[in-house]
Amino acid sequence: MAVSFQAASDALCGSGGRIDELAHPFVRFLPVSGASISTFGSLLGAETVSATDARAGRVDELQFDLGEGPCWDALITRAPVLEPDFASTSSWPAFAEGLRGEKVAAIFAFPLTFGPLDIGAVDLYSTTPMSLSPLQRQQTLALSAIVSRILLRHAIGGEETGQTTTYSRRLVHQATGMALAQLGTSAEDAYLIIQARAFADNRPMRDVAEDIIERRIRFGPLTEAEGDQL
Amino acid sequence: MIEMTRTERLFDAFATLADTLVAGYDVLDLLQSLVDYCHDLLDIDSAGILLANADGELEVVASTNEANTLVEIMQLDADAGPCLESFRTRAVVSVPDIDIRSDRWPDFTDVAAAQGIHSVYAIPLRLRQTTIGTLNLMREQRGELNRYDIRAAQALADVATIGILQERTIRDASTIRDQLQQALSSRIIIEQAKGVVAETGKLSMDVAFDRIRSHARAQQIPLSELARQLVAGEIRL
Repeated sequence: MAVSFQAASDALCGSGGRIDELAHPFVRFLPVSGASISTFGSLLGAETVSATDARAGRVDELQFDLGEGPCWDALITRAPVLEPDFASTSSWPAFAEGLRGEKVAAIFAFPLTFGPLDIGAVDLYSTTPMSLSPLQRQQTLALSAIVSRILLRHAIGGEETGQTTTYSRRLVHQATGMALAQLGTSAEDAYLIIQARAFADNRPMRDVAEDIIERRIRFGPLTEAEGDQL
Repeated sequence: MIEMTRTERLFDAFATLADTLVAGYDVLDLLQSLVDYCHDLLDIDSAGILLANADGELEVVASTNEANTLVEIMQLDADAGPCLESFRTRAVVSVPDIDIRSDRWPDFTDVAAAQGIHSVYAIPLRLRQTTIGTLNLMREQRGELNRYDIRAAQALADVATIGILQERTIRDASTIRDQLQQALSSRIIIEQAKGVVAETGKLSMDVAFDRIRSHARAQQIPLSELARQLVAGEIRL
């Protein structure tokens, strides 16, 4: 039943905006029992977007209720949190207590970020102790980057971005060029970041574009996984 | 290099425009050359060309100075100003002193006057029944453009328009609308490329554009192709 990374990646890219299915490709290519994807942090509301099974959903929900757990740590540190033997960890006492009786033996959380933006996390669990190989970690990061883009587009979709005149479009294109040079990414990703920034600050895209052009806003380079193209 | 007289330079401009038309060309590059010739040859301070997009709105496609202030003035002109009037009436609109008619186009005149522009001359890019856009000439000085410059500007605009409209009947199956739309679309990537060069070279947008344009000329590649390479990170300036 295991599929290749490429198939999982294709499945994500072909999801066509259906975000409730986003967790499934992770369990198809990794030997884990379940996966869940949630949004939280400064940009998007706290919500479980997709879960492969009830237990995966519960792992997410509990972390939101308690305000602690691997998904929080993953997003705060912007790095994967790997717990191959959950029974022996003392990192999150309340979370561990809450999961007592659930068959969760290993747990992994991967941050969902895009450029400077915090989006959420991917939680993976296994009913038996296990670890992820370096390749599996790297591939999970790459899939997480794809998920980040999809969630961002979904959140922004339909928002009036206020770039209605030909002149303001011109400014947005110039800012896109500056941002893509700063981020080391494609024009599409740079545009998405500007759009997300406008969304986060609740400002018209034109205003954010002007700040970029006047060098009041700048973006740091994307991580390697984030920079992987769709 | 020997200093050329104005007549010689004008002759040179027509010869170069004609060459471009014979040899095949990119619409955007042709229009950029046209505004540059206007700037070199006429008693004006800036020039720009606006083309009608698919929605019938006029968009700046080429200008002598890519500072955002000038582009914004021309875009305001296109929304409500002499440029729009020239496009609608398909006739030359001469405004020797914009302050006299300031109530007519308040947004445009305010911004233009604040940037020191006091007279405007708009020429439709027209061949018989088809009008594709306008050529806008702007001056800091008040007063009518001299007769010689009017004739020269009209003739330069006509050569470019005829060239663009003729080409399709001679050898191109795509509609003229597609071709003009493509010139406008390539502005997107040119704006992005300006941003890339402005960022990497720590330059203003107009200096970034000048650098892109000089490189495209020196390498004899279309502006839009160079812009694509810059945005894709294939080359750096």
